[in-house]
Amino acid sequence: MKNRSIAAVASLSLAVTAVGAHATLIPPTFGFSLHSAGSTINGSAGDFGSTTNVSPTEWFFQGSCSAMTGTSMNWAYLVDPDPFITGSLSITNESLIERSYIVDFSLGITPPMSGSLVSGQVSGSLTDSNGSGGALLTSTAGGAVYTALADDVFVRSLMSNASHAVSNQYGTTSFSGGSFGQPTAIAGPAINNTIGIRYAFTLSAGDSVSFSSIFVANVPAPGVMALGFFAGAFTRSGRRRMR
Amino acid sequence: MKVNIKNFAVIFTGTTALLTSASFAGFTSSGCVYSVSSSAGSGSQTNTTVDLSPTAWMNSGGWVTAGSTASVTWANNVWGWNPSTNTGFMNANIVIRNNTGAAQDFVFTAAMNGTAAGNQTLASGSIGGQFVNGSGSLGQVTSSGPLWSALIDGSTVNSQLPNALFFAAPFQIISLGNFNFANIAVSNSIGSQTAIRFSLRISAGGEASFTSAFSFQTIPGPASIAILALTPLFGSRRRR
Repeated sequence: MKNRSIAAVASLSLAVTAVGAHATLIPPTFGFSLHSAGSTINGSAGDFGSTTNVSPTEWFFQGSCSAMTGTSMNWAYLVDPDPFITGSLSITNESLIERSYIVDFSLGITPPMSGSLVSGQVSGSLTDSNGSGGALLTSTAGGAVYTALADDVFVRSLMSNASHAVSNQYGTTSFSGGSFGQPTAIAGPAINNTIGIRYAFTLSAGDSVSFSSIFVANVPAPGVMALGFFAGAFTRSGRRRMR
Repeated sequence: MKVNIKNFAVIFTGTTALLTSASFAGFTSSGCVYSVSSSAGSGSQTNTTVDLSPTAWMNSGGWVTAGSTASVTWANNVWGWNPSTNTGFMNANIVIRNNTGAAQDFVFTAAMNGTAAGNQTLASGSIGGQFVNGSGSLGQVTSSGPLWSALIDGSTVNSQLPNALFFAAPFQIISLGNFNFANIAVSNSIGSQTAIRFSLRISAGGEASFTSAFSFQTIPGPASIAILALTPLFGSRRRR
């Protein structure tokens, strides 16, 4: 009887383990949308390329989208629903006129986070790909080129009022778009469903830009939360003393 | 209308020479081919080509090992001849990722097949890029020799980033800089192909991405230039 109980518990345990292991093999939702010239294309990044599980929690999405006339876009992102997004996006404006783009990548996260510590960074390069004698990348309407999002809400942005130019034929310039939360992550919001990166920019005709980006959100360690609580308490008592 | 035999000879010679000159100056192409080799293993390759014109193509493709332990993604345009700039060119947006637990070597080549003849070929080009360290350890991009090379008929005509050595802290990005060259005399003709080559080593969990361009312009031979010089002379004779 005892042996039968042990066997039953072991079987149940194995089954639970198997279900758990299987769960980690389901890729997270990782969607994209490309908006330009009044048209929008969106979908699951996996439907426009490949999705591969490269570690127990990490997934690699590689793909391209040239369905929108006059635009060629490809990407390679490593994501973890725990969560982080890191990788590269390249776009070539194949049209004969300057174009504005908004490109969103959004990752479903598990589990939800009641608070977060966030960090991010962006860097890139711009090339006069058609030999017109120059290339220009600007942030659209004075906004930011890179915006980190949590639940589709603004967290931090980088490359505000950006303008990068290439002035020689077939030339390239590279740019560092800055960072936040590095080396020490900064306090971020509670995150329930998604983190994302938005790129919003205007690109000259016939030219190419590549962005490499990171957005990481971590759950604050209990010690950090306690420190935050005590820091708040200390600040309050300090203010009281000043009065 | 009376046709002057002498003038007719000049017109005929001039037209023939100009047509020859035009065909010499152009780069006839049959598209682009790609090759990837990596210490991470063999991979499968895909590429989609869209015809932009009879001599220009837009390509989008990738190479990936089984299990995506390593991958290369590219978007690339090739123009056999661009009449607005009098050049042929190729560009490349490329992302190389190492998802393995060890450093891996990669060599990626995009080659435009074609020929061009002229008195001299001038080359221009550039490369810029960045490196993402997606691991919890110090990341590296290195090269033994040039990281980037422009080739004509298999011979290097320009190279950049010799013996590259870049470091990135965990989960950080570094710029690899930008490098340009313009109108350097490289050869008298293009016999079979022009190419861009990336050769680099990427640490575990790292990703390097680049934008790059390589253009070439053939200069018409002296005979064509002489005919061009004769054209106004012919005009002045007619007016007389």
